[in-house]
Amino acid sequence: MAAAATCGTGTRSTGSMVVSASRNSVTSFQRRGPRASGTDSGCSRLVSIAGTRPSVRNGQLLVSTGLPALDQLLGGGLAVGTVLLIEEDKYNIYSPLLFKYFLAEGIVTGHTLLVASAKEDPADILQELPAPLLDDNCKKECDEDIYNHKTESNIKMKIAWRYQLLPKMEARPVSSSRFGHYYDVSKRIPQELIEASKWHGFFLPEKISSTLNLEPCSLNHSYIKLLQFIQNIIYEEGFDGSNPQKKQKNILRIGIQNLGSPLWGDDICWTENCDSNHSLTKFLYMLRGLLRSSLSACIITVPTHLIQNKAIIARVTNLSDTVVGLESFIGSEKETNPFYKDYHGLIHIRQIPQLNNLIYDVSDVKDLAFKLKRKLFTIEISRT
Amino acid sequence: RHVRQRLRRSGGLARPLAPPTDNCPNGSSRPSHDSVEWEGRSLLKALIKKSALCGEQVHILGCEVSEEEFREGFDSNINSRLVYHDLFRDPLNWSETGETLPGGPLEALRALCRRTHPGPVTIALDSLSWLLLHLPCTTLCQTLHTLSHQDSCRGDSSPGEQVHVLGLLHEELHGPGPLGVLSSLAQTEVTLSGALGQASAHILYRRPQQRPTHQTQWFSILPDFSLELQGGPPLEPQPYPDPRVPSMDPTTHLTFNLRLSKKEREAKDSLTLPFQFSSEKQQALLCPGLGQATSHIFYEPDAYDDLDQEDPDDDLDV
Repeated sequence: MAAAATCGTGTRSTGSMVVSASRNSVTSFQRRGPRASGTDSGCSRLVSIAGTRPSVRNGQLLVSTGLPALDQLLGGGLAVGTVLLIEEDKYNIYSPLLFKYFLAEGIVTGHTLLVASAKEDPADILQELPAPLLDDNCKKECDEDIYNHKTESNIKMKIAWRYQLLPKMEARPVSSSRFGHYYDVSKRIPQELIEASKWHGFFLPEKISSTLNLEPCSLNHSYIKLLQFIQNIIYEEGFDGSNPQKKQKNILRIGIQNLGSPLWGDDICWTENCDSNHSLTKFLYMLRGLLRSSLSACIITVPTHLIQNKAIIARVTNLSDTVVGLESFIGSEKETNPFYKDYHGLIHIRQIPQLNNLIYDVSDVKDLAFKLKRKLFTIEISRT
Repeated sequence: RHVRQRLRRSGGLARPLAPPTDNCPNGSSRPSHDSVEWEGRSLLKALIKKSALCGEQVHILGCEVSEEEFREGFDSNINSRLVYHDLFRDPLNWSETGETLPGGPLEALRALCRRTHPGPVTIALDSLSWLLLHLPCTTLCQTLHTLSHQDSCRGDSSPGEQVHVLGLLHEELHGPGPLGVLSSLAQTEVTLSGALGQASAHILYRRPQQRPTHQTQWFSILPDFSLELQGGPPLEPQPYPDPRVPSMDPTTHLTFNLRLSKKEREAKDSLTLPFQFSSEKQQALLCPGLGQATSHIFYEPDAYDDLDQEDPDDDLDV
């Protein structure tokens, strides 16, 4: 019967239809749907920048360090706005590799790079970045590796028969993921990727004139120049939100090599009590302030094995957020130790930050060792 | 030959050990008898001579000995190729005759950095120790770095255009800090020591991004500063035998058995695991009805069982 009433023609039935319609929408609240123009920053609730993902623990925005194994140890990745400090190994062989992985990840995900060094020209550093393993190359490399592995192992495994039917789970790098890529250390990054990326270089001998008179200053001149450079880039390119950005937000990846060595004008590696005892610590403090207020992440390598004053090492560790130490076995008695014969060194996760959190994501395993294979830098639990 | 190859790379650092220490590679401790200082200047001069004979231009920054003493022993052919910058006679430029370099050692080093003469060149710093004592350390490191990398600023650097920097360092004058820093800057490090009147050089060669290699080479320097490489010193009966370093075997003192005897291995292999896929199981799955009774459930209701033949869902008002 209700259906017959609505079928009637004429204005009266139309009026009743309108009345029924308004009765259905009892409330005046309306769900705001996604607008057609997606450029309004107000309506997008999640900041989706390429190469980042929110942490599963506390929603902190993370970027990949370039090594998925290291990302896992750090609790998913490096938080945006923090400093990753790498304590260099004695002969400086493996720490530049982590540095390059970080920069290569930035190029592959399209982040802006800022490379600062006192030893090498940043352009040369970028030329030596490892090549990313993309979909078509990756399958070939992995099959090669798996074949080699199969011929080596002659232990037959008896597994439950139902599992034989399942496809084998291999640690094949999934290169189509947007977070964390794999790289081939034996190859160089293709030139077109470098040219397509945006990067800024800070090479200290070019920026500092050699005839500078050395007046004692609380902060080293080189450090002041570097901080100014970083600050300018952050401000001009709008990483701190100062320019209302019409374009897509991006992350700035900063890499500083060999900080604290005498080539930066710092003599903490020289003597225990020196005049510029506080230069490096002040620099780190100011750098962290710059990073916290911008969308950037920073990797720094410091030759801590050369720093004479242990108190400075402790202060530098405290002023950084994440600290990873590399200890290579070359030249030490561990080189001949049969426990460590499969590895090239130990990796120590010395500190993980507590960001907006009461606890941090410390991994249970403390004995981590690394090995530089021909193509890959692997981190494993040392089997001792 | 080995030393010649070292010359081809840039940035060498030679440092003598004044008290001859037990720096012997075989690990036995030997009481030190010699009192002769293993001085490095003769090795430096030998390397300079080799460079000059190869046709390279050689610049020498002399700070510790006078020019005459340094040039002594070289023949005129080599002496004509050496460009000597004298900082020994008048380091602070008191005489103001214009002969000495104005600006002191730093200016001299910077002048070397700015040279535009093409061709390979060797720069010998007669003593880095002297320079360390007179210059701030960071300035020296930065200048040394610029010196050895100046050819990279130009467009392409062919291998013949390389700059070799040789520095002499007296180890006992400095603490571990400067030594560590300078060895991290250098590409090759030669430590002099010796035994039984025979000098040896422990050479550590750091290639960029690769593992460092080291070797020990016994040598002697002839009066005309030619280098003669030799085998080890004549063996003498050693007072103590070499302590045998026991290799650590991780499989000792375990609480479980790592090895299987033959019988145990056979038993293990013949064991059929419950979920192991075998042909019998495959047959059983493929043809279930062959020769096997299908399973039935026999249910005897008890006195306490509350069985209702009706559909329990009928009570619901759906």
